[in-house]
Amino acid sequence: MKQFRTVLISAALGVLSVASAQGSTLTVATAQDPQSWDPIDTFLVAWGTVAHNIFDGLIIRGPDLKLHPGLATSWKYTTPKTLRFTLRQGVKFHDGEPFNAAAVKFTFDRLLGPEGKKGPQQANYSAIKEVRVINPTTVEFVLTDSDPVLLTKLSGYGAMIVPPKYIKEKGDAYFDTHPVGTGPFKFVSYESAQSLKLTANKDSWSGVPKVNNLTFRFIEEPATRVAELQAGRVDIATGIPVAQAATIKGNSNLTLQAVSSPTVQALRLNFAHAPTSDLRVRQALNYAVDRDAIIKSILQGYATPISSLQSSKSFGFDPALTAYPYDPAKARQLLAAAGVKPGTTIGVDFIGTDAVFREVAQAIAGFFQAVGLKADLKTYETNTFYSDIIPKNKTSNGYQMGWGGWTFDFDNTAYLLYHSKQFWNPDFTDKKLDALLESQHNLADQQKRLVILRTIARYTHDQAIDIPLYNQQDLWGVSKRVQGFTAPSDSLLHLQNVSVK
Amino acid sequence: MARYLAAQVFQAILVVLFVTLVVAVMLRFSGDPAVAQFQGASAPTAEQLQQIRQALGLDQPVWLQYLHFLGGILRGDFGTSFRGGTPVGSLITHALPPTLLLAFCSLLLSLVISLPLGVYAAVHKGSWGDQVIRFLTLLGLSFPNFWLGIMLVLIFGVTLRWLPPSGYEGGASLVLPSVTLGLILTSATVRLLRASLLDVLKTQYVTVARSKGLAERRVLYKHALRNTAIPVITFIGLQFGGLVGGVVVVEQVFAWPGMGLLALQAISNRDFPVLQGAVTVLALLVVVINLLVDLSYGLFDPRIRMD
Repeated sequence: MKQFRTVLISAALGVLSVASAQGSTLTVATAQDPQSWDPIDTFLVAWGTVAHNIFDGLIIRGPDLKLHPGLATSWKYTTPKTLRFTLRQGVKFHDGEPFNAAAVKFTFDRLLGPEGKKGPQQANYSAIKEVRVINPTTVEFVLTDSDPVLLTKLSGYGAMIVPPKYIKEKGDAYFDTHPVGTGPFKFVSYESAQSLKLTANKDSWSGVPKVNNLTFRFIEEPATRVAELQAGRVDIATGIPVAQAATIKGNSNLTLQAVSSPTVQALRLNFAHAPTSDLRVRQALNYAVDRDAIIKSILQGYATPISSLQSSKSFGFDPALTAYPYDPAKARQLLAAAGVKPGTTIGVDFIGTDAVFREVAQAIAGFFQAVGLKADLKTYETNTFYSDIIPKNKTSNGYQMGWGGWTFDFDNTAYLLYHSKQFWNPDFTDKKLDALLESQHNLADQQKRLVILRTIARYTHDQAIDIPLYNQQDLWGVSKRVQGFTAPSDSLLHLQNVSVK
Repeated sequence: MARYLAAQVFQAILVVLFVTLVVAVMLRFSGDPAVAQFQGASAPTAEQLQQIRQALGLDQPVWLQYLHFLGGILRGDFGTSFRGGTPVGSLITHALPPTLLLAFCSLLLSLVISLPLGVYAAVHKGSWGDQVIRFLTLLGLSFPNFWLGIMLVLIFGVTLRWLPPSGYEGGASLVLPSVTLGLILTSATVRLLRASLLDVLKTQYVTVARSKGLAERRVLYKHALRNTAIPVITFIGLQFGGLVGGVVVVEQVFAWPGMGLLALQAISNRDFPVLQGAVTVLALLVVVINLLVDLSYGLFDPRIRMD
């Protein structure tokens, strides 16, 4: 009986604590616990969603996707291979130590040294040879090679500036779970697989946050994230599944924000297998698929059709290039011209746990059948698919490729997917494409690059290297008590200007 | 007794060793963990992947990796997570208490409900109460716990707002996951208890006890129920293994930061050290519980000697 009473009381207290958890706390639910808050250990979007509130880079990419001054107030190339930054003055890390040129040098020495070798970030910054301290407020990056995307990279992930004294004293392992940066929110506590609690940094250089506390909760199950949002215990939830969009929209306390993401979906076509080795067949398959129908019926309109493997916000996007129109008659004609017999099987591989793409794949199978082909659907587990099936060229004629172009630059996608002998491109070689890709890879002139990137996009389209399908939208569930929040395209949250009623 | 115990412990160690070996080897055939470290933000280049493989020790032969893992465990070191280098030991010490708490509460809950229901159903066999219980338990068994969990969340967390839908914040948040896990176990236990008790009630010694003029309550509790204990406890011990499986699903639904969630995330991250550590601990737990179940037989039936 006594035990029962204890349970009752604690249940009641639980209800009370739900009611009192209001005030000036903003709670955000994300799907994944990054497990380490060290910028050089991670490449997870989930990390970026959270950690941009703790750390700053020299450069900050805002919700407008443009580069803004961060811990550096200005920068310029003094020679093609030296990049000089003027640093912001009077900034302090959360532990009180000053931010200065030495901290910048420490950050990049650590990233490019043995500690950085353990994480996935180092190779992104291989263009940096060394960082020189000119004076306490000026640093110079000496580059081995020009990297047109370097400034964008400096605004994210591995390039976040970290506190030298703190890390030297406490060690890297401690820093993993007790992060210290210069950002608008300070670390309070972290419980693995549960939550990260932050508090407002009253000395923040980028503006004092409008809420006192910021809590991130890690809830992997989307249905549970939505439930927490409906129950009013979470203010903002990421990754709302399309299937739940209506639930959020129908709730008078919530709003749904849909924002175009960098993630694009395509069916890549395998050049090593017949009949997709034939250009006419690849084009026919492109004509056979009704992208608009897929977007309308399966994605409920939360996507836009694409003509190359990039979103409309990507550098290299060409508004003049449109996707193959839906034209089954033309598809049949091309297939006949290529000598493909009716009833020929086209294999389509995809990730079995991706509920949305499963429907997309089934629709594609239907479209293929409508032009006289037979589709053979095969599913794989995510990691097996990406680490074994694709790179070892074990795929069928067509296979799912979901790609997040997080630098918003087509080079990042195109080079890795289309250049010969790249990890993601085991089955085809095109000398012309290789030359095009190389010609812009280290080019500093952005206008020239844009022209070449658009040429590449058109070439991949004409060669029908893949069937570009759609650019997904990220769906965010937001409580109406949240003010001043706009869902970002790159999932990076900057929450200092968000308040709660 | 000591000899029995030694034999059992030896067997337990063999089982755990075998489980770790299978897991370690199978994992290596399940794709490249280096690729899993890049989820989302960018695509790795071949050089990046090679660098990560080296840093994680994946360039070594599988048998050497396994020996490293075993050697570590003997020293009490489970290695470090591929994700950010957290020691696996500390991840497990964080995740084990929530899981044990959840398993214990579900077990307790299911016993509290199933004992009276099972006894009632057996004693009043064929009555409408028995029919209702049999119907409900069949219904209970037919629900997948994932679905049941989501339904409970929607009813008690979202609509009524009596309880938190998820999380790990004290007594209130324990209720829904315990009920989800407990109800599945309850239905099976009620049915088993009813069937075993009915068997026992048909035996000669019960008839004898009754014919001696013993009160029905005494026959039931002193003689019959005690003899039903062994199959029921065996069943619960076996169910514990199943409970661990259920924990994985239920922890996912309720964002419960336990071993199930840890293992599940380790699988999708291909975090070998974490998964190996978690599986080793879970296997140990199942083995120990079953050992305790074996030992407890003696308490209920003095004829069972451990030798």
